[in-house]
Amino acid sequence: MKFDAAWLMDLLEGAPGAEETTDRLTACGFLVELREEGDGGEIWDVEVTTNRPDAMNHYGLAREAALATGAKLKPVEFTLTEGDDPVADFAAVEIADPSMCTRFCARVIRGVKPASSPEWMQRRLLNSGVRPISAIVDVTNYVLLELGQPLHAYDLAKVRGAKLVARRAEAGETLVTLDGETRKLERGMPVIADAEGVVGLGGIMGGAESEIGDTTVDVLLEAANFDALTVRRAARKLGMHTEASHRFERGADPELPPLAIDYAAALIAEFTGGKVCSGRIDVRPRPWESHELRTTAARVSAFMGLETPVGRMLEIAAGLELDPRTDGDAITVTVPSFRVDLEREADLMEEFVRHVGFDAIPAQLPVLASAPGCRNPNWELVDRARSAAVGVGLAEIITWSFIDPAQDAEVESLPLCPGESVKLDNPLASTQSTMRRSLLPGLLSAVRENLNQGERNVAVFEQGRVFWQADEAPVEGERLAVALAGSGLGHQGVAGFADLKGVVEGMIDELGFPPVSWRRGGGPWLDEAQGAVIEAEGGRIVGCAGLLSQEAAQRWDLKTPVYAAELDLAAAAEAIPLPKFVELPRHPAVTADMTIEHATDLSYAELDAVVRELAGALIESIELQTRFSGKGLPPGAVRTTLRFTYRAADRSLTQNEVNETQKTLRENLSERLGVAFG
Amino acid sequence: MGLERLKQARASFVADLKDAGTDPAAVEKLRVDYAGRKSGLLLGLAAALRELPNEDKRDYGQALNKLKKFVEKELEQAKQSAVVTADDSAADRVDVTLPGLALPRGAEHPVHLVRRRIEEIFLRMGYDVESGPEIEDDWHNFEALNIPPDHPARDDQDTFYVGSNLLRTHTSPVQARVMERRKPPIRIVVPGRVYRRDSDLRHSPMFHQLEGLVVDEGITVGNLKATLETFLHALFSDDVQVRLRPGYFPFTEPSAEVDISCIFCNMAGCGVCSGSGWIEILGAGMVDPRVFEAVGIDPDRYTGFAFGLGLDRVAMLQYGIPDLRQLFAGDQRLTRQFE
Repeated sequence: MKFDAAWLMDLLEGAPGAEETTDRLTACGFLVELREEGDGGEIWDVEVTTNRPDAMNHYGLAREAALATGAKLKPVEFTLTEGDDPVADFAAVEIADPSMCTRFCARVIRGVKPASSPEWMQRRLLNSGVRPISAIVDVTNYVLLELGQPLHAYDLAKVRGAKLVARRAEAGETLVTLDGETRKLERGMPVIADAEGVVGLGGIMGGAESEIGDTTVDVLLEAANFDALTVRRAARKLGMHTEASHRFERGADPELPPLAIDYAAALIAEFTGGKVCSGRIDVRPRPWESHELRTTAARVSAFMGLETPVGRMLEIAAGLELDPRTDGDAITVTVPSFRVDLEREADLMEEFVRHVGFDAIPAQLPVLASAPGCRNPNWELVDRARSAAVGVGLAEIITWSFIDPAQDAEVESLPLCPGESVKLDNPLASTQSTMRRSLLPGLLSAVRENLNQGERNVAVFEQGRVFWQADEAPVEGERLAVALAGSGLGHQGVAGFADLKGVVEGMIDELGFPPVSWRRGGGPWLDEAQGAVIEAEGGRIVGCAGLLSQEAAQRWDLKTPVYAAELDLAAAAEAIPLPKFVELPRHPAVTADMTIEHATDLSYAELDAVVRELAGALIESIELQTRFSGKGLPPGAVRTTLRFTYRAADRSLTQNEVNETQKTLRENLSERLGVAFG
Repeated sequence: MGLERLKQARASFVADLKDAGTDPAAVEKLRVDYAGRKSGLLLGLAAALRELPNEDKRDYGQALNKLKKFVEKELEQAKQSAVVTADDSAADRVDVTLPGLALPRGAEHPVHLVRRRIEEIFLRMGYDVESGPEIEDDWHNFEALNIPPDHPARDDQDTFYVGSNLLRTHTSPVQARVMERRKPPIRIVVPGRVYRRDSDLRHSPMFHQLEGLVVDEGITVGNLKATLETFLHALFSDDVQVRLRPGYFPFTEPSAEVDISCIFCNMAGCGVCSGSGWIEILGAGMVDPRVFEAVGIDPDRYTGFAFGLGLDRVAMLQYGIPDLRQLFAGDQRLTRQFE
């Protein structure tokens, strides 16, 4: 909020310079964000927190400045001269619903002439960010900015029946507000009505019909107090935010209207030559009641961690006009009407902390049991997944949790689709309106952007949550997705299925997945020839991996082949057991290769399983050496060369022994699978 | 006569040796020519012994032996120097300034780098790292944190709604969840993804926060201050000044806005700190007794403090990334800068 520095200083006696005053204000909770040169003095942009409506005006902020700098706050001074005509002869006020309006003060100023406000007032208004309009309107704004009471001036001649009623709107009522907009009111909104209809939105904005103009002779001035919640709800529904609503929503001072209306009336009379009728209309169904708060110096000191003398606390409370009393260590205060934020002892303690100052409180680390910190298992899982992906050379990216519903719809056909999607009620854009059920849509879009940037090797991963609707409640699951395009990790040539599988297997291993099998599948997302779903025991799908199908590539506008995979981290082990040391072998190993010629429909997994079953006890490892098909082989045949490593724990094997074993194995394999040997 | 031949042979060997230099092929040829076992010159010279008169044989034999030894010694030397320089020959020579073979290296996103660094600081101080749902209910995100319906603070946290639930607008609901299930003493940090319905240069509808909470008997404002100073010194540097200003959050009282002295201009005033010399980095405060009441912790017995900061903002500050939204554009070139 903008403050005119000269105006603020005018309310203080014995204040230090601007530098020190702004520093002290910042230190007690009113951050002076910006000091800039205004018309005839500085403008201070001060952040007044939403719980402090009492300081959203020059006088309220000056009260804080006075206490913070040791200056004195001057009283509000003005001279009000009333005429002989009693106000009751000209106007009347009624509060029809005390739940929306707790107090309504009014005054009448008669015989005003069109005038501008004086130059000093216009300057102060402009420096505070308010445009001067006319003497009367300027005065209402000026008093608002000085004291914090919103005011409204009506052209009395246009108030039908010369009577204002504060009530709630009926359904279907309308009002043209001062800004020229026609407002459709809803039942229950706070309004001010005259004998024939609504003339203003209570606590928000006046109506255009009864607006002050050049022809105005008699002015009806309103200073009321409206219920915070009623104003807030109405303003939100109407999409309005005004100086008045801003203050009423946060809580205005119920005892301020009389002072504010007298001050405004005096100024209007002075600037326009009008006469103020005698008497002030002041309707209030229930008088405001003060309340007390109590604490003790010991409690405050213990809470702060700083022994603070009672005298200092009394000084602070007095400066805040809390009327403090002591009884030994106990401190009792009476909360003034303008401090709507002081409800409990904690609120009072805050005042002491604010004005003693954080700077004065010594820093002292808490003494806590020296137990080691633990990480929630979910974070352990997340970071295990991330480091597995980083470990195989991928770059981490973060994409939005919400995606385009059109993209989300595609996830239906993904093997890992968890359930119904979760939609936002109020998205920022329709393209960000559905919570993702898979990381792949975002990841693939990112791959496209990377390729469009001219990247030739794309190797990225994302770890994050997916969301779906289960019965009643939404559910979240952790996922890990990777994508390779171009030469992927920068090996020779173009990344292929084996590169992707290597990456995925590496991650599965680190994540401690249960034993998985790779089964051809994953369409229509993945290519028929190079797509796989990854299954755990019982056929539970825990991931998918492969070349993006042409169809999917077209949908994501990808012109380069992309290999992608997604893993469901729910399959990961909760903790990875410590590895167990195995005694190192004492005797040398003997290796032997075997080339097996077989039909391509015998998968490597099947071949491998049978070989392992038949290989015998001395086998240490079986590795794939080469795989060949084409020239020299009949169509549909493939030549697989395996390398066998044999080792005995208690002796050195001889080549003869190994050759014999291999021979037996060949015979058994031939018998079992009908394969030939190259 | 014979001795003359030996002299000539020696001279021609010396000349050929010189010509061969350190070329291993030439040295080998030299060996074959002179000391070869089939047709080496020395072989011929030895055969010539038989044709000499007997009286000359002795001298010739001795001279021949000397020559033989000389040739062998020289050849051996030549061979060795040829071997040494062979490694340095043009064909096998490595340009040691060529780049090495690049092994694939992974890279973490800067936001996670920052998260893990901050987690580490707090783990060392004995804090637990907690986690909670991103789709929250109103109670944990707002009501338990002293933000009832219609509270003005709800305006500041524009919320995405999902039926009767919402996307959490801060990590603070995890505070409430942890306090509901655990008894004090509590000391936790909660990193995580949060959402607000806001998008411009400085705001993103999705970002990351880290929340801290300490609850025990006798926790003071001074404890909060020391904890934040310790943390910020560990995160930035011991030279950084920390300033607490009173502020307002519904779930803490008193609340504080926490600034650090500008790490870019050392408080001289620059674009990052808008000339003020201070950078706002954290929000903090003493846990409001109403929050304790809401989660079933006795506010007369326990006090506590809480704080929160934007991980994205710290990443932007520490790495000099100007636009928040760049962090979520999925550009691997950004991440690769943090290998």
